[in-house]
Order: sequence, then structure tokens, then C-alpha cells
Amino acid sequence: MDIARLKSSFARVAMHGDEVPLHFYSDLVLKHPETRQLFPVSMQAQRAHLVEALVTIVSSVDRVEDLAAFLRDLGRGHRKFGALAEHYAAVGDSLLATFAYFCGEAWDTELEADWRDAYALIAEVMTAAAREDEQQHPAFWTGTVVGQEHRAFDVSVLTVRTDPTLHYVPGQSVAVEVPSRPRLWRYYSMANAPRPDGIVEFHIRLIDGGAVSMALAGKAVVGTQLRLGPAVGVLQLDTTLTKDILMVAGSTGLAPLRAMLDQLGGMRQPPPVHLFFGARTADGLYDLPGLEKLSATQSWLTVVPVVAAGPSPGETGLLPDVVSRYSGWAQHEAYLAGPTEMVQDSAARLAAAGMPAASIHVEDFGWSEP
Amino acid sequence: MTSDAWYEEQRRLTPDNLETITFPLTRWGRHGYEEEPVRAFLAEVQAEMLRLVNERASLWQEVQRLRRRVLGKENGNDAVLFGKDDAHVHAVRILSSAQRTADRYVADAQAYSGRLTEEARSRRDEIMIQAHQHADLLLEEARTKARAAAVAAIDGDSLAPQTDHERRAARAEIAYLRTFTEVYRKHLKIYTEDVLRTIEDWEARERSEAREVPDG
Repeated sequence: MDIARLKSSFARVAMHGDEVPLHFYSDLVLKHPETRQLFPVSMQAQRAHLVEALVTIVSSVDRVEDLAAFLRDLGRGHRKFGALAEHYAAVGDSLLATFAYFCGEAWDTELEADWRDAYALIAEVMTAAAREDEQQHPAFWTGTVVGQEHRAFDVSVLTVRTDPTLHYVPGQSVAVEVPSRPRLWRYYSMANAPRPDGIVEFHIRLIDGGAVSMALAGKAVVGTQLRLGPAVGVLQLDTTLTKDILMVAGSTGLAPLRAMLDQLGGMRQPPPVHLFFGARTADGLYDLPGLEKLSATQSWLTVVPVVAAGPSPGETGLLPDVVSRYSGWAQHEAYLAGPTEMVQDSAARLAAAGMPAASIHVEDFGWSEP
Repeated sequence: MTSDAWYEEQRRLTPDNLETITFPLTRWGRHGYEEEPVRAFLAEVQAEMLRLVNERASLWQEVQRLRRRVLGKENGNDAVLFGKDDAHVHAVRILSSAQRTADRYVADAQAYSGRLTEEARSRRDEIMIQAHQHADLLLEEARTKARAAAVAAIDGDSLAPQTDHERRAARAEIAYLRTFTEVYRKHLKIYTEDVLRTIEDWEARERSEAREVPDG
């Protein structure tokens, strides 16, 4: 397999931008009409995903370990979409046809054989991971919405019963699909530690124009059955440490940290936790009463409400600024979640104040779809 | 040369960029462009760009088709107007353009529902501000009345009601003022609750309307 030639032909194809994934999906659907139902109505995001995955694969082709890990995740992740082993052959055919089309006269039997081999490898790693995953987990979990509580103008808390019981580590999230928005998945963090009855809570913030969030915020969502993907995410409590903990939550970024508080509460001797909970206005501090109740009974927990502007029950200002007003964080273990910008700013400020990078744990919702 | 070209391609300005771009608002008291004409112009540029992009794509495909035809001739094949793959490529093109249309419909619907909730948000803020102002007004009025009542009471004290009749009248006056305060407080509470309910209704209605916007 001539890797250099594969790469240069890919670069040639890539020059055509969005035309490439557009051609690929049209080719696929024409040859295999039954695959259309695996995708959402609008394919805009889908095309970007394909390009992203292809770029990742081609650019990490020299780092076999990374590539294999990426492909295994991809294979597992595709189970919830309903991807089956036979789809892989169809995708391979259309991918090759697309590359051939855009390579023009540079395409020959040798290059075709190389791409065929490369794709066979990719498909093999992905399907193997999917098969292995099948032994342990369903393709998706069913989540019946059993409760909805409006906490603020644009924030509600959903109570969802999972079937079979969803296993996860506090701080992780799952992709959620609503029946009224088929094939659109958005990531949400569980806001409680796993419970024996399989009940999980999601904090839903209404995002203007956000297809999934708008469906989840509506009253009609109660009683519906959501589809949940497997738990993912790297944000989780390092329970081997006894260091004091700093938590910074912007709006519904509170959810994963709330699950960790739940977990800490179940520990015999939780370390002291300082939680900064911020929102644009005091209205947006949708979980403050609950947090205050918790801190009143749990002496290890200190909650500082932060409001960006206007009257505040605690501090006023932007979260990164307010957190920096306090000192002595360098020896803490920090967990941050919320809007990307707020998380990045806070992380940078903590690092500048002497906190080691390894002690700053971040959940970035930037990769999440609307 | 790896996937750099793709990144380059992704960085280029696309019609979608023009549709979704936002600019920071000018600070108060400074001059900035009026939003609507800028948006209208951007929409025009976006439409034009989309036309150009589509034109470019179909031209490129035409080039490919002609190239295949020429190659076919060179290889001694009987050159026909449509090569054997042309029908399929043509079908792919039609389907691609249909998909683009569907994407645009969904994007429009989503933008529309986004605007609806945005409006709901600002409407709600307006109502809240008005309610606060009204509440402040009512409070101020009540305070003025209370102050007047207190002054009257002190004045009454200094005059020291002489007779039982006058004392009884003063007591009645105080009882009246107390009731008045009670009523006013209740009135204020009902009013506030009513405003909150209106907001909730409005919010619910807005949501159900937003839900009716089809996906595409």
C-alpha cells in the first residue's frame, strides 16, 4: 500500500470541499436507497462529520495506535445510528466511486486497489469494535421521560428512566435522540450519580433554534421514549486524590458536576469542595435552592452563586474573573463545565495562577450538536 | 501534502458562513451600521455565492464528462455523447442538488424557530421590566400614603385628641390605614402573580408554535 500516494490523492480530492461528501452521500443513497433512513433530513452536519472523520483518519495514518483507537470509538459510536455490518461494504463502494470521480484522470487500478485495501482495514477495525461492543451493550438505551420540572425561563430538569439500566461514571454524558427529531443526536450529561433504579436527570437549556433542545424543553416530551447512546466523556472525579476540589459550573454545565457532588456525598469522607455556579442573571441560577439545601447539610460543600450582571445572591461578574478573585487554588483539583469560552478562560486563569495542567479537568460541550 | 488542502478548503468563505455570521454590537453611544440593511445585503451576497458555487460545481462536472469523452476517443472507443457512467453521475448531481435544497429548508426552519425563541426572550425581559417598574410605582405610592398617614398620626398625637370621640375617630383612622395597607399588599401580590402567569402562558404558546415549525 503506497501511503504517500493515498495521501496525495486524498489531498487532490479534498480540494473539492463540500462537493465530495455531497457526492458520496448521493451516490450511496442512489445505490442503496435503504441507507437514507439512517440519516437526518438535513445532511449539512452529517457531511461535516464525514469530512472530519476522513481528515482524522488520513492525518493519523502514521500513528497506528491513535488511528485504531479513533476507529474503534467510531465503530462503537455508529451502533446507535443503526449501522450494520452490511452497510460498511456499501459505504466503501460509494467512497471509492467518489474518490475516483474527483481524482479524475489520476485514478488508476493501482490507486483503486490501494484505497480498497485501506478502506477494508478501516471497516475491519470499526466492525470488530462494534461486534465486541455488542456482547456487552445494546446499540442504544431507551429513556422514558417520567418527569419535567421548569426551573427557569429556559431551563428544565428532565427525569428519565433508562432501560436497560444505563451504566456510567458521574461526569459522563450520552447522546440523546428525541422521537420528534429523528436522527438528530445531542449530548447531555447525567446530573446524578448512577442509581439502582436506573433513573437519570438531564438539565435542559433551551437553545434558540436548537432542534433537539427545543423538543426536550417542550411540555410534550413527558412520557416520550428517548434513545440514549452509550456513556462517553472524559470528565470524571479522580477518587484516588484527597486534594481539595474546585468546581466551576456555567449554566447547565452544572449537570456533570452535580453528578460528582452526588458521588462525593456518598463517600465516607469527601474532600472540601468549593463550587462556583454562574449564570447571566439571577434567574438563570436554576439549581441554587437545591445546592444551598445540600451545602446546609454537607459541611464539605461551599456554594458560591455568581451572576454576570444585575442583582446577585452572591458574587457579581464573569466566572473566570470571580474565581480569580479568590486565591490559593494552586493546590486544588479543578473540574470545569459550561460554555466553551468560559471553560477555556477559567482553565487558562487557573493555569496562570500555578495550577498544574493535569489538575484541571474540563468538559467541553463544543463538540456537541445542537 | 496531506489533508492541509482540506483544511484550506474548510477555511474558505462559504454561503453558510454568510448566513450565520454575526457581528458584535457597537457600544452604547457609538455609531454602527443599522442591522437590517446589512443583513439584507448579506442575504443577497449569500444567494449569489450559492449560485456561483453551484455553477462552478456543474462546470467542473461538465469538464470531467468532456474529458472522459475525449479519453474515450483516444482509446479508440466509439465516443458517445454520454459515457457509460454519465447517467449515474447525472443522477448523483440531481440528488445532490435536492439534498442541498432540503438542507436549506431545514436551516431556514431552524433559523425561524431560533428567531421565535429569541423574540420570546426579549418579550419576556420587557414584560419583566415593566412589571418591576409598575411594582416600584405601586410601592412608592403606598410609601407616600404611609408617610402621610404617619405624619397625620404624629400631628394627631401632638394635638392630643381631647375627647373620647376624637380618640375613637383616630383609632378608626389607624384601623382604616392598616386595612388599606393590607389590601394594597394583596393587590400588589395578585398583580405580580398575574404578570408571571401571563409570561408563562405566552412562553408555552410560543413553544408550541415553535414546535409546529417542520423540520424540513
